[in-house]
Amino acid sequence: MEEVDKILIHALKQVGTEVSEETGSVRQFSSELIVEAVVRCVRVIDPGLGGALPTSLPPGMSARFRVGMSLAQACQDIGYKGEIGYQTFLYSNEPEIRSLLMFLVEKLPRESAEASDQPQGKSAVLQRAIAAAIRAQLSVPWLPPHCRLPLHSQTQSPGALHSFHVQPLSLAHCSPGKKPLKEVKDYHRDILPPVTAQPSHHASVVASILEQHTAELSAAQEWDSEWNSQGLLSRLKPQEYLSRKLTRLRKRIEEQLRSAALPSPESASGGPRPNGDLSELLLAFRGSAPSDHILTKGSHFTHTQKFTFTTTEPSTSVPFAHQSDSDVQLRRQEEQLSLQEQQLCSEVDQLTADMKHMTVTHAQVLDELKQRELGNSEKEEKMQVKKKTIDLLPDSDDNLQKLKALVEASAKRVVHLACQWEKHRAPLIDEHRRLKEICSRQDLESSQKLSEIKSVHDKIRVSTEEAKRKEETYKQLVTELENLPQDASRSAYTQRILEIVSNIKKQKEEITKILSDTKDLQKEINSLTGKLDRTFAVTDELVFKDAKKDESVRKSYKYLAALHENCNQLIQTIEYTGTILREIRDLEEQIETENGSKTVANLERILSDYKAIRQENSALAAKVREG
Amino acid sequence: MVVLLSRLPATECIKFCHRVVDGLCGREPPRRSEHSTTWSPEEWLQLLDSLSAFYRRAVGSDSSEDEVLGGLADVGSSHAEAVLSVLRARREEIHHALLDRTNSISSAVLQDFDWQLKLSLSSDKISSLHTPLLSLSLDVREDAALRSVTMEMNREELNTLISSLEAANKVVLQLK
Repeated sequence: MEEVDKILIHALKQVGTEVSEETGSVRQFSSELIVEAVVRCVRVIDPGLGGALPTSLPPGMSARFRVGMSLAQACQDIGYKGEIGYQTFLYSNEPEIRSLLMFLVEKLPRESAEASDQPQGKSAVLQRAIAAAIRAQLSVPWLPPHCRLPLHSQTQSPGALHSFHVQPLSLAHCSPGKKPLKEVKDYHRDILPPVTAQPSHHASVVASILEQHTAELSAAQEWDSEWNSQGLLSRLKPQEYLSRKLTRLRKRIEEQLRSAALPSPESASGGPRPNGDLSELLLAFRGSAPSDHILTKGSHFTHTQKFTFTTTEPSTSVPFAHQSDSDVQLRRQEEQLSLQEQQLCSEVDQLTADMKHMTVTHAQVLDELKQRELGNSEKEEKMQVKKKTIDLLPDSDDNLQKLKALVEASAKRVVHLACQWEKHRAPLIDEHRRLKEICSRQDLESSQKLSEIKSVHDKIRVSTEEAKRKEETYKQLVTELENLPQDASRSAYTQRILEIVSNIKKQKEEITKILSDTKDLQKEINSLTGKLDRTFAVTDELVFKDAKKDESVRKSYKYLAALHENCNQLIQTIEYTGTILREIRDLEEQIETENGSKTVANLERILSDYKAIRQENSALAAKVREG
Repeated sequence: MVVLLSRLPATECIKFCHRVVDGLCGREPPRRSEHSTTWSPEEWLQLLDSLSAFYRRAVGSDSSEDEVLGGLADVGSSHAEAVLSVLRARREEIHHALLDRTNSISSAVLQDFDWQLKLSLSSDKISSLHTPLLSLSLDVREDAALRSVTMEMNREELNTLISSLEAANKVVLQLK
């Protein structure tokens, strides 16, 4: 019982009841303490119900009575099934109070215990953390800026917030393949400042480092995924794959640029040649972009621009040279010059048009010439064949024979060559087939290996994801564990429970032993009574037979009957004493329980309370009369 | 105009050239106040311009070291050697910077972006809101002027933005 009482007192203390250290068991609870404990429990279980109840007993007797009644009502409302009334609180009795308190403590809501049983969601943890942080910040008083400690500056000064600005950093990378140049090494050793000193603002150090890292990481990841998805399938080395991709991209960009550049008149006049490669095209673009004049190299377009500029220069500079002359002269000269210029311009235009025309006609004439030449050579061949046939005509028969022989010989030769060709061809074809087979087998193997590699990659990804997830849950659980209230008595409880369980086991064993003992005894008794009955029947029969003949035997038969009856009576009396003993024990137990419930003391208290009530009543009556 | 470089001693010259290249790669360029005694303001500007143009041209047209030395004929040999060594050490970095310049050829370029996730716990009307909001700020460089664009989005709007960005990325990937 003491363990139970300890647990009860612990729970009551948690609810808020002030139980002094000396109180070790429920028996020592006073009425006031009981009332307070019950009221606090009721308040926790049902705030609406317990809110109206006072935590301490009032001095007046009738008021006490009323408090007891309302408390009993509240307990019944909560669901207490046992016997309860005002007397339970005012004239307490240990078992009743204990069962009531146990009921109440069990009814206490255990949000913390339930919550810790199942892992909380991430959002719950986060929201609790947010709430805690905000509460902590709210509890810190606001201070004027000059009084702030570093503690406050984190939450109260706006200066701590920097926007995210990135500056490029220079980091010394060690690429495994190449050995760095001596100059690069010198630069890294002597001149390159440390990363924290590179950005111009100290605030952007972190941002820049983060940005650089993210960029490198994402580039590596992109390359990884691309290599796994496409690069492996192409069956090339990484470098080859890259160079092929580069050329493809170049071609594409070139096409795009050319198609975009053609319609614009500017680049059409500056004109990338149709067969020029990308770099030339790009050069043309650089030339046309005015902001990038530093990058400009001599492109076609700029050359033409320069050319036109320089040709117009003298015409404009001449009149300025003769600035000192009279106006008329100047004007005349100007007119002349402009006329000349116009003439020249028209001449130039005409000449360029002529030139274009000429080039076109030249190309046409060249084409025609080629065609004619081709036709000529064909005709010459035909002519030669005809000339030979004419030469052969006079000696026709002989020549025909010769020709036939020649044809036959050549046919024979062809057959012979075909035979030889067949001879060579068969092994070659065999070889070809064999090689083809090997090739296909290797293809198959390599594709199998490719698929294997792919599956391995997938597995790696899946397992890394899983590991990450598990790590996260582990972290979450650890934080939850740290947040849990440290209940020191928990292990003590479990130990105690284990002890109790082992005690119960021992007791059960003893009980079964005793039960088997009683069974044995019962069996013995049964067998003995059976034996007795049988012996009695046999003796009775024997003696009854003899009793007809002999007088003394008849007497002994009477004795036997009397003996049997007496023995039966004796046994019955023993059984009676047994039952009476049991009853006595029951009664003693009852007396003990009655003693435990402090009946005498309670009766005395009831009597005194009764007297007090009567006094109060008479005082009230007197007041009424006086009033 | 690189001739002006010869007013510095050769060891200083290396450091100075490195600083110029730093400016070229987007970090802090050398300050005039450090060399105000050596060059007049006009000379200073000319020197900076010509040096950075020189480096850009040397890396951009991928010219050999002899060509570079030919361009430096009017500077003393020790200074030319210094300029060349800086070029050798930083060639890759300058190359990257030039590539970046070419990449940001369009009129508006995204320079930086920053985001903050806010959880609005309640509003003036609703006591418990628990709505996450994302405020995204984009630093856009438009004609060498930095403009900041800030917007606040809830979950659905953010999803729309992300899906449209993913679609754009897919188009870019198809181009490759």
